[in-house]
Amino acid sequence: MNVQNPLPAFRPFVAAGAAAQKPLDLVEVRYRPLPNAGGDVLLTNPFGDWVFVTQGEMSALVRGQLDDGTPLHQKLAAKNFIRSKISVETEAKRLARKKRFLAYGPNLHICVVTLRCNETCVYCHASRADMDQVQTDMSPEIGEKVVDFMLQSTSPGVTLEFQGGEPLANFPVMKHIIEYAVQKNRAYGKQLDFTLVSNLGLMTEDKLSYLVDHKVQICTSIDGPEALHTKQRVLVGGNSHREAARWIERINKKYIELGLDPTLYHVEALLTTTREALKYPREIVDTYRNLGCRAIFLRPVDPFGFAKKTAGRIEYDRREYHDFYRTAVDHILSLNAKGEEILERYAAIFLTKILMDEDSNFLDIRSPSGSAIGALAYNYDGSIFSSDEGRMIHEMGDDFFKIGDVRTSKYRDVMKHETVRALVLASIRETQPDCNVCTYAPYCGIQPEHSYRSQGSIFGQMRQSTLCSVHKGIQDFLFEKLHTGDASTVDTLKRWTTIRERSHFIQSSAAS
Amino acid sequence: MSESTDLAVSLGAGTISFEIDGSLYPQDALYGAAYVFLDRCYVLLDRVSDNRVRVLLRGKTKDAALDGDALAGEFQNELLGQTWRRKIAEDNRSLIEAITARALGGAAGPPGLDDLLEMDVGSETAFDDPLGIAMSWEEKYAKGKSDAAKTAKDAAPADAAPAEDPPEVTP
Ligand code: SF4
Repeated sequence: MNVQNPLPAFRPFVAAGAAAQKPLDLVEVRYRPLPNAGGDVLLTNPFGDWVFVTQGEMSALVRGQLDDGTPLHQKLAAKNFIRSKISVETEAKRLARKKRFLAYGPNLHICVVTLRCNETCVYCHASRADMDQVQTDMSPEIGEKVVDFMLQSTSPGVTLEFQGGEPLANFPVMKHIIEYAVQKNRAYGKQLDFTLVSNLGLMTEDKLSYLVDHKVQICTSIDGPEALHTKQRVLVGGNSHREAARWIERINKKYIELGLDPTLYHVEALLTTTREALKYPREIVDTYRNLGCRAIFLRPVDPFGFAKKTAGRIEYDRREYHDFYRTAVDHILSLNAKGEEILERYAAIFLTKILMDEDSNFLDIRSPSGSAIGALAYNYDGSIFSSDEGRMIHEMGDDFFKIGDVRTSKYRDVMKHETVRALVLASIRETQPDCNVCTYAPYCGIQPEHSYRSQGSIFGQMRQSTLCSVHKGIQDFLFEKLHTGDASTVDTLKRWTTIRERSHFIQSSAAS
Repeated sequence: MSESTDLAVSLGAGTISFEIDGSLYPQDALYGAAYVFLDRCYVLLDRVSDNRVRVLLRGKTKDAALDGDALAGEFQNELLGQTWRRKIAEDNRSLIEAITARALGGAAGPPGLDDLLEMDVGSETAFDDPLGIAMSWEEKYAKGKSDAAKTAKDAAPADAAPAEDPPEVTP
């Protein structure tokens, strides 16, 4: 399977031969001749600054030619690439701000309240059970212990995310956990919020009223147009797409009735891009628009939910994914140019780092990754994992990512677990082969669970990593868009980096 | 091969090999250049004499015929580029260390990323929780369990990051 995008053949070092030498006052740089940037070369530095140089300018740098006062020197100085002009104080503050997530423990706590699920999906076999398998329901006692454990985190804010299976299949325990967490948090005063990830097939008016009253944010999965969605997500005796669409509309209406801004408060939906989905980039975007979604996350299928033998049916060459991504995002950009506001979330995550010099702490694209130190996943039986993906690997018979149990483990012991230590070391980009010389290292991150599942090692080999390929392909695309300098496109991309907090979903922690 | 200066290329079935002068390049640059080919080729590095290293690249797919000249030229460019970049990185090492130490591990602040990087993974005692992540909420912020909530609020840094996964990025 091909994973890396081919780059243009530009060989300034061979051309310079023995004349190649280092420029004296240049900061550490990484360079990449982009596939579609008119031959220009992208330079980045370790602080996250970037600049395009022409091939002629790159050739001069390769020959060590960087004289003060020249246009090239001025261009690089303006972008923080000249060492003698760097302020240690300023750069230290920037780095500290962007890495502030390192000062806290996990803020995302994924609670799998049941493995039972009413739908059968092509990419999810390992992590579901049939509806009669009630032994995979979390008990109220385990639920309480999950909350007790979560509140030990040193993070000042915690999100409790209900997942499954289908969490609504064990709704009474979900309710119990929510009420217990709100009550228990009064002693901690953390910023607490709840998220439900549901296919909505088991939603009822009563459940919805409870969720809205208790300010639980609702997310669902939409795989694209109805025919594609229902083919991939089979709801016995029903139509999975129509059910989801019906409830999305109902929930969004409910938010409007509450007086909430619909541009901020609406059901979030997630896409899983399978091989079949690659054929429908525009149609998928249009499906999301028609459902009232203003953000679409073009996630490639991940390797966790299904057995290797199924991979042949739903996996694909990542270069096909790049084509899909480019077509879909070009369509989204053209809609924005006509005044319609919709964004692609992968792009927003990278652009926040590239354009805003901020890190939005998206756990799977940060360095080190959020595995365990940014997120924990709790299985229905109380076992604790470094991530939901680690939990899925456990369901496939491999306990590598199991790091504790809410009934017996202490928070400190879990955080000091040897697996957690290894996951941190494996996910620091600056120490990984290939990442350490990659132009995109300042903005990138890899989840070690992905490397483990797809390549057999948490360290992985980025040259052959499908996830690395996706990250490189998306960043190539974004930098090519920035390179065009087209005002409307750049304005849209900048707008995608605006972070608006959904404060309505934050629970009151006022002491009773 | 038009571009190469010190490469001798021999083409076999889906395989090319060439020798380079190993004394001219840092070993890390050689490994770094070889790594770039891992998605397309099986790579073998072999020392044939004190200063000569033989590089063997064998295509991973049988059908794709290897363009030997292009691959050898690309390898050489990568090798020289990695060497060039490493020299610049050396010049900047103390600057990067100063910034990282100031940002993440200064005397006034908590220990940081550099502590993590320096951990001795082989030792049982290596992980001393430099960031305080392994401490419980009460241990990190509270004076005692009885007034955990009050102390937690008092001790939380002013710039505490809000719950952030993922942030709500909306148009
Ligand atoms: S994961 Fe890939 S794209 Fe990201 S920094 Fe590493 S090599 Fe670059």
